[in-house]
Amino acid sequence: MRSFPRAMRGTTRRAVLAGGLAAVLTASLAACGSSDDEVTGGGVGTAEKPVSIRMIANDAFARQWQDQMVPEFNKLYPNIKVTIDGVPYGDLLAKEMLELTAPDPTYDLIVADDPWIPQLAKTGGLADLKGDLGKFTKADYDWDDFNTGPLAAGEWQGKQYSVPVRSNELLMFYNKTLYAKAGLPEPTPKLTWQQYLEQAPKLVQDTNKDGKPDAWAVGTYFTKDPLTPTIWQTILNSNGGQLLDGDNKPAFNTPAGVAALQTHIDLLKYAPPGAATYQFNEPLEAFRQGKTATMFMWGSVYKGTAVDPKTTTLKPEQVGIQVMPVGSLSAGAHRGMWTAAVAKKSKQAEASWTLLQWLSSKQGEQWQSNTLGVFPARKSTLSSTPQQEWLVPVFKAIADGYVAIDAGKMWRPKLPESDAIQQILATQTSRAMSGQATAEQALQTAADEVSKLLKSKGY
Amino acid sequence: MTTNTQTAPARGGTSSPAGPGDRRSRRPRAGGPGLRHRWRDLASRWVFLAPALVILAAVLAYPLFYTVWISFSELDLATFTPARSVGWMNYRTVLEDPGFLNSLKVTGVYLALALPLQMLLGFGIAFLLNVEWRGRGVLRALFLIPMVVVPVVAGGVWKMLLDPLWGFVNYVLGLVGIGPVNWLSDPTLAMVSLVLIDTWRWTPFVVLIASAGIMSLPGDVLEAARVDGAGWWATLRKIVLPLLAPVILAAFIVRWLGAVKMFDIALAATKGGPGQATDVVNLYIYEKAFRSLEFGTASSMATMVLAITMVLTFLFLRLNRYLEKRW
Amino acid sequence: MVTTTAPTIDARRRPARRGRAGHRLRIAGSIAAALLFLFPVLWMISTSLKLPRDIFASPPRWFSTVTLDNYTSYITQADIGPRMLNTVIVATGAGLLSIVAGSMAGYALARLPIRGAGLIGGLILASRGVPPIALAVPMFLVARRFDLTDRHITLILAYCTFLIPYVMWLMRSFFMALPKELEESAMIDGASRLGAFFRIIVPCSLPGLLSTLIFSIILAWEELLFALVLTNREAATIPVAIAGMAADTEQGAMWGPLTAVGTLTVIPVVLFALFVQKWLIKGLAEGATKG
Repeated sequence: MRSFPRAMRGTTRRAVLAGGLAAVLTASLAACGSSDDEVTGGGVGTAEKPVSIRMIANDAFARQWQDQMVPEFNKLYPNIKVTIDGVPYGDLLAKEMLELTAPDPTYDLIVADDPWIPQLAKTGGLADLKGDLGKFTKADYDWDDFNTGPLAAGEWQGKQYSVPVRSNELLMFYNKTLYAKAGLPEPTPKLTWQQYLEQAPKLVQDTNKDGKPDAWAVGTYFTKDPLTPTIWQTILNSNGGQLLDGDNKPAFNTPAGVAALQTHIDLLKYAPPGAATYQFNEPLEAFRQGKTATMFMWGSVYKGTAVDPKTTTLKPEQVGIQVMPVGSLSAGAHRGMWTAAVAKKSKQAEASWTLLQWLSSKQGEQWQSNTLGVFPARKSTLSSTPQQEWLVPVFKAIADGYVAIDAGKMWRPKLPESDAIQQILATQTSRAMSGQATAEQALQTAADEVSKLLKSKGY
Repeated sequence: MTTNTQTAPARGGTSSPAGPGDRRSRRPRAGGPGLRHRWRDLASRWVFLAPALVILAAVLAYPLFYTVWISFSELDLATFTPARSVGWMNYRTVLEDPGFLNSLKVTGVYLALALPLQMLLGFGIAFLLNVEWRGRGVLRALFLIPMVVVPVVAGGVWKMLLDPLWGFVNYVLGLVGIGPVNWLSDPTLAMVSLVLIDTWRWTPFVVLIASAGIMSLPGDVLEAARVDGAGWWATLRKIVLPLLAPVILAAFIVRWLGAVKMFDIALAATKGGPGQATDVVNLYIYEKAFRSLEFGTASSMATMVLAITMVLTFLFLRLNRYLEKRW
Repeated sequence: MVTTTAPTIDARRRPARRGRAGHRLRIAGSIAAALLFLFPVLWMISTSLKLPRDIFASPPRWFSTVTLDNYTSYITQADIGPRMLNTVIVATGAGLLSIVAGSMAGYALARLPIRGAGLIGGLILASRGVPPIALAVPMFLVARRFDLTDRHITLILAYCTFLIPYVMWLMRSFFMALPKELEESAMIDGASRLGAFFRIIVPCSLPGLLSTLIFSIILAWEELLFALVLTNREAATIPVAIAGMAADTEQGAMWGPLTAVGTLTVIPVVLFALFVQKWLIKGLAEGATKG
């Protein structure tokens, strides 16, 4: 007991020291000016002088890449040391924006979700891969082999800022067992929304005959989340509609838009109890437990849903995957590319771009698909035969999806305000889902808020 | 634990022997032992405030200034510095934003429900815990756990428990023929659930502080009351409550300031939904700033929330002082 | 004279005669309350022992196949160790620093005649009204300007900004409950103010001081936003790792490992609290007998 005060006194001294340090810290803060220095390569390192590059990525795959992708890359380029820091998805964009604006940025490589490239590029922090870094591009790097949709995710205002490194799409999963129990034919890529909605009531079943339903037709995003509107947006797209018109004015507040949102809301009737709170995990778990016959979800979950016995009760032969149902224009899918960009102020631009080129090259992509099960963006990879058998039907669905994505421009608004728009849509969609507003009212409010936002940004 | 004299070099006889009564109005003795002495005395008092003030000023001053500055500017996201001043425009935008006004309302409802509930439960449980038996220490430590579970996990576990399909709560309710209840997807019930989760999480704080307060109560006073034959209600009202008043009020103020800032649990459990039913103001600002990257308007909102909180906090402190004097 | 406040527990060692039944009732009541509050925690622990595919079984099950896989597999592959260490460093650092600075300030507010102290205290408290997100961004800009991002000290100082006001206010109330004669007699003995504070006042307010310390450490322990913004790798804490696992956009959140790490993060704090309590009660008992 006696030693306590003495220990505390020691801490006081430290406290004062720390306080002084903090005072120095805030003494001045000059604006961090962004001088447009030229991109100097920095080389790819030598055995004597290796170079180090650092990447900021989604926590969901940062470790997998660090542990498996980096060693594979180092077989070819042993003198480029790669560190990958993961950030939780929800805060990744904000963190990247903050990190990018430094005069001497911490990160050489920025991995961005589908709609982020305009926001990141607008800061002036990203290198133009074909312009700034063109001189470091390998002669055999085949730009034309990419499917157009995936490559377009990395493009903004005529410049290619990033390349696809991890592709994804919203697709339709279905449980063949539950379809058979309901006496319905298995879905095909030709399944229309009308057919789907006609079948949905029959997919709400009482499989153990105890008088209460224990299997439902559908699970997908229903809660207040920026990704929830992508479901009705995809329905709208496959009927030929768009969120914004050519002049960046809201174009979703139309009968077609209302019908699309209403379809999404109607899905709730055939979804498990409590589905209104479904975000990403819940529909996934319901499907993995064999509780729902279909699921509109990101394709990347296929392995954990159909293949991995630790995470799912289902078997590969039970789970079908294909594009989302067909509308008046095309089938449905929604683009969710992870692309990667090089920081303009990076001192190691050449090494960074070298890593990206390898990862998105034909060989790199095939290695990634075969080893990690990551989805490809290249035509050559998609037409190859994957080593892992479960990828065969998935490749087919992805390829169909790319066609649909091109036909219906199925992606989120390609503007720096993309996430702000998605937030507005998320709130209003959720209001409509929970019955606080009708589909018309929700879209009217959303349209008003989106035009106010875009107007304030000078569109 | 006897009084310590061995090291103190007896600098400055600042004591005021037998200084009677009111600690607030006690001043340094006028015409004391000279200016030097008085200055020393003053310094020896300010020394106590200095560490806190230095740390807070150093770390907090610039961020506060920055927030207010940005709230009057359009932020250049390329440098995170103001691109140009826009006057009150951000504030006008905010005041015309129904989402923001709604979030203030939601926050008010949440605070009005959660705070009294947590204070009552917390002190109630602290009294229950204040019984001498072997398991008390362990129980007290266990009561800390809800606070320690990281919000993301806590929110997720609660979502699991409340889910109508696989949730334990609805399973139990189902056994007695109720439900399934859509705890998180009905606008009203979502608010109830949020208050319940927050109460689960933060009542332990009140228990912790209240227990410490009760432990510090002078035992002889209680004993004397008991000998006098006072009933427990009279003891509680006339002796315990007045003695505990400062602790109760302090716990309330700390809880109030913590609750105003709550957004992590809402984010993890309901994401502010359905619609905006549980969109507390700090969650709204967080999403505006970090998800929509609207830092200008977010800063205006932050400044307004700061102003509102300040006013309310000062009101509470007023009340605090009044009650402390009265008891 | 110290003993006038300390031996509270001993003074009430004998339960009142009529209190036997009430005594039992209160014990039962406190156990019931604890079980109610611990139920979600028990669910978390049972979840951490399940295979991922069993976690969302319907109807829910307490246990299916019990597995330690969630503990062993994840912890070996993720940086849980270093991150736990970071969390310990940052939480104890921030807790100790703010308990010293905060309790000194609290004492000044409770006992020392300083003109304007009330206003200063009020302002310090009210500064807590700023939404944390508004502070995180400029703090990051400052830290980057001085090359202090991703350091423990930065996070410790950031946490102090919200811990010090709380500590100050809580400790003020505990100090006010002390009898005034305490420091007066100390200073008659010739101790300086600081000396009297650390030697007399602090030991007499140990229950409050340690409870406040535990509270501060807990707040710093689970903080996410500042940790997310101010760190990258070297100083990243457990909550950041957990947030990443919860937001797994590739496979779906791994609730097995998540609850396992959640359970692991709780253990050190509970052990610490238990230890402190044992020590505190022993200390109080000793103080009482010695007096």
